[in-house]
Amino acid sequence: SEMSKDLLPGPYPRTPEERAAAAKKYNMRVEDYEPYPDDGFGYGDYPKLPNKSLHEKDPWYQWDQPDMRHNWGEPMHWDFDMYIRNRVDTSPTPVPWHTMRNHLLAFLGTMLIMFALGEFYPYYRPVGPKQYPFNNLYLERGGDPNKEPPVVTHYEI
Amino acid sequence: MAAGPPPTAAQAYRPNRYVSLPAELDPDTYDASPEKRRAEAERLAIRARLKRQYQLQLNNPKPPAVIEDPALLRWTYARTHNIYPTFRPTPKTSFLGAVYALGPLIFWAVAFKVDRDRREKLIQEGKYVRPFSVF
Repeated sequence: SEMSKDLLPGPYPRTPEERAAAAKKYNMRVEDYEPYPDDGFGYGDYPKLPNKSLHEKDPWYQWDQPDMRHNWGEPMHWDFDMYIRNRVDTSPTPVPWHTMRNHLLAFLGTMLIMFALGEFYPYYRPVGPKQYPFNNLYLERGGDPNKEPPVVTHYEI
Repeated sequence: MAAGPPPTAAQAYRPNRYVSLPAELDPDTYDASPEKRRAEAERLAIRARLKRQYQLQLNNPKPPAVIEDPALLRWTYARTHNIYPTFRPTPKTSFLGAVYALGPLIFWAVAFKVDRDRREKLIQEGKYVRPFSVF
């Protein structure tokens, strides 16, 4: 782009003067400016903003870009495209997150255990072998119609 | 040992990486010290300056074709062009690179090889039932 090198992001700031210059470049207060830790991950001097999604930003304020809830020149979060309003939402939940997680895992775990038990120990009403009429379907199974079929009884008295 | 006082609402809520603390439970909202007011005033001054710059460009009788947002340009530059110069091989980055780049490659290569060998063994023994599918 046509911006000069001192307006574009650069390497991690080492001296306090570089930090002040970086804060000024990103339109932030020097006290607010906090770069990502210098772990060699490639962040450079980009500021580390709180990981809050755009859902939490004020919906009633007159933003310059209302759909992105972003003002012109304001530093954007590194994961801005993740935190848009169509995607990840970090707004506070009515129930604490750990409570919700525990309830979900308890339900899923119970259902899984019950289904596994049913798989290994199936339970059904007692059944017997199927009984066919007409002397065990003698004619349908190709028995000779002239011969006397063998009598099949399925009961005992 | 007696139980301590019950957890405060903020402690019971426990914000984490996925949800943040609501403003009502955050003690910073109720902090009305002069330092905080000065910080807010400075932030407002920066915001007002940026608003003024933007509005001047927007309401210009001969506006430029595109009003470039330097924050957006810096964001794209940082995410695309600034990664390679600021990257540094450290133990952590090397380990993560191996896990994410080499891990799946080696895993799937081994998985396919083992599966193919097993199928070849079954075919040689004559026990393999070839699957039939119209799709």
